[in-house]
Amino acid sequence: MDDLPEEVQGIIEELDEAAEDEDEDAIEELTQKLLDTGADVETITLKKLALLVMDGEEEMTQGWTRVAIQIGLDPFKTLIEGLATGMSLIGKKYENGEAFVPQLLIASNAMYGGMDLLAPLMKRDENSGSKPATVVIGTVEGDVHDIGKSLVKTLLSANGFNCVDLGNDVPASRFIEAAKESKATAISMSTLMTTTMAEMPRVLKMLSDEGIRDKVMVMVGGAPITTEYASQIGADVSPHDAASAANWLKAAVFDFPPESVRWG
Amino acid sequence: MVAEMTSKERVLAMLDKKPVDRVPVITGSTMVKEYIEKSGSVWPDYHSNAEMMVNTVSLMHTDAGLDNIVMPFGMFIESIALGLEVKMGRIDIQPSVRSFFNKPEEVKYDNFLEDKFVKTTIDAIKLSKEKFPDAAITAFLVAPVTLAGDLMGAENLSVLSIKCLQKEKQMQKMHEWIDVALEINKIYAEACVEAGADVLYYSDASASPNLVMPEFYYEVGVPAEKELGDFVHNLGCPWELHICGDTTPIIEGMASTGANGLSVEQAVKMSEVTKIAGEVPVAGNITPLLMVEGTEEQITGAVRDALDGGAKASMLGCGTPPLSTSDRLKTWVKAVADWSAEKL
Ligand code: B12
Ligand SMILES: [Zn+2]
Repeated sequence: MDDLPEEVQGIIEELDEAAEDEDEDAIEELTQKLLDTGADVETITLKKLALLVMDGEEEMTQGWTRVAIQIGLDPFKTLIEGLATGMSLIGKKYENGEAFVPQLLIASNAMYGGMDLLAPLMKRDENSGSKPATVVIGTVEGDVHDIGKSLVKTLLSANGFNCVDLGNDVPASRFIEAAKESKATAISMSTLMTTTMAEMPRVLKMLSDEGIRDKVMVMVGGAPITTEYASQIGADVSPHDAASAANWLKAAVFDFPPESVRWG
Repeated sequence: MVAEMTSKERVLAMLDKKPVDRVPVITGSTMVKEYIEKSGSVWPDYHSNAEMMVNTVSLMHTDAGLDNIVMPFGMFIESIALGLEVKMGRIDIQPSVRSFFNKPEEVKYDNFLEDKFVKTTIDAIKLSKEKFPDAAITAFLVAPVTLAGDLMGAENLSVLSIKCLQKEKQMQKMHEWIDVALEINKIYAEACVEAGADVLYYSDASASPNLVMPEFYYEVGVPAEKELGDFVHNLGCPWELHICGDTTPIIEGMASTGANGLSVEQAVKMSEVTKIAGEVPVAGNITPLLMVEGTEEQITGAVRDALDGGAKASMLGCGTPPLSTSDRLKTWVKAVADWSAEKL
């Protein structure tokens, strides 16, 4: 962004300030001014959104989402190439040990802040082909730790998955019901306590008993869960953090039969 | 060779950086199902009945052979006494805090010491002191950052831990929460020491780099723990500090709080942290799950790794799992005694 003409950079800075102050009138005026310079406002806005989400700047993210809306940027493109890209960037840093959980949380708040503004514009066309894959997500029964679970949800949403969030302290049977109801592609279970780990194989057994084990992929995670444990209990995978969970699932759905084939 | 010591003498000598006859074996939480059943205690009464509490937790000393007796069972007492919602768990699941306050002004603690759970801790300390004068009677308490996290909600603590580094206004907000937490900490600490506690064991689980920024720990956590620790020292009592997760980036800060001992879990490499902690004794860092399903070989190996790494007391990472078995606890104690006989 440093190679932009000085005039454009000046307006961007003013926009940052207006966004920080949540001054909607100023944002509108400055956006028009930016368009008048003839600069590639669409590219600027998407880049800006990614960086602001990465830095967890909630107000500024919302302000620049308003810019995106005003210039008529496609809301899905704004979400995927702007907001969600920022979330993935900070997720990568976390994966590499260069960022901490609070940074993920403020990035997640910023992303959702922008998404709230886009939501009313994103009325899906029910008949249009590609429907996002659904993931049923929750923390197992007996365990209330849900910060990690919510981060997994955020990263999955950022990667285009539709999440059915069951919250924490979720009985095994709820996972099964929700998977059936939503014709889920995957179930994601979390636990942070060794005492509640045994809930995971219970859910897997219920899936088998109900004859639907092959209809869903099962991801398990949380601090005490290892890859060995995951395979021992018959789960499909245990990526070691929220960012790799999203990446794994994104790749895995390609080789997985589509919803209509699995659930009929 | 040091002459044979009582458990209490052993623990206090270790915390005082003096020689010991054998390495002390200590614990934080002690809600062990087998011992609850063996002592005839019933859920959830043992959380609010001092006699049941002492009957159960003392088995860790009299049966398993640990050097301390720790009460209460979990980290919810402060919260429940302040009126927060707590789910009582099960015989094998510890209680958990389920609600939080919106503003520090909402926290009322005038009648803190009147609460039945707080009273149980105090009575249990008195009772175990009377019945087991040779053990190190230890109160298991929630340290200031974690208590502030319980008051405002853990996720809010995490978010505020980064925002307060960026904006002065957020830092003020953080301090308001920490100040309330410290007030409550001090009231409870004083009552525990008056009741006769030999050691206060503070868990600052939420001060971990797994949840908050390490810079925040240095800037806010360390001064808060130090303020509380100095207060405890003025009452004439030593204290230990536990933080969960990989504490390598913050162990230097932990060592600077004045704590008489530090406790770390299996996510750290013992030899690395003992080097950084220097003079300050470190306890740890056996994987707790070994007490549920470990083999004798695994338990002995973990004990020796930690002690060879420079640990001055043997301890399980984050406390004793509810499903621990007494034979494994005894294997642990024996492994420490064997190592001590060989190497001290
Ligand atoms: C915050 C916290 C709490 C908060 C939780 C608030 C909340 N809304 O979640 C409160 C105060 C309520 C709480 C309560 C308790 N806690 Co607690 N808590 C913690 C703490 C400090 C941090 C956990 C955390 O949120 N980490 C940050 C998140 C982001 O990490 P995460 O969940 O691991 O998620 C990451 C990965 O694991 C992964 N992931 C998570 N889920 C999934 C799923 C999939 C599919 C994949 C692929 C990946 C994945 O992605 C995430 C990001 O990359 C830890 C100690 C520590 N420092 O780690 C103890 C800890 C987890 N708690 C513990 C305990 C024992 C309890 C209590 C029983 C009592 C107590 N000591 O306070 C009660 C729980 C009661 C119950 N029935 O659930 C123990 C668990 C011991 C064990 N191993 O069995 C710990 C280790 C500490 C301790 N000794 O007290 N706790
Ligand atoms: Zn811990």
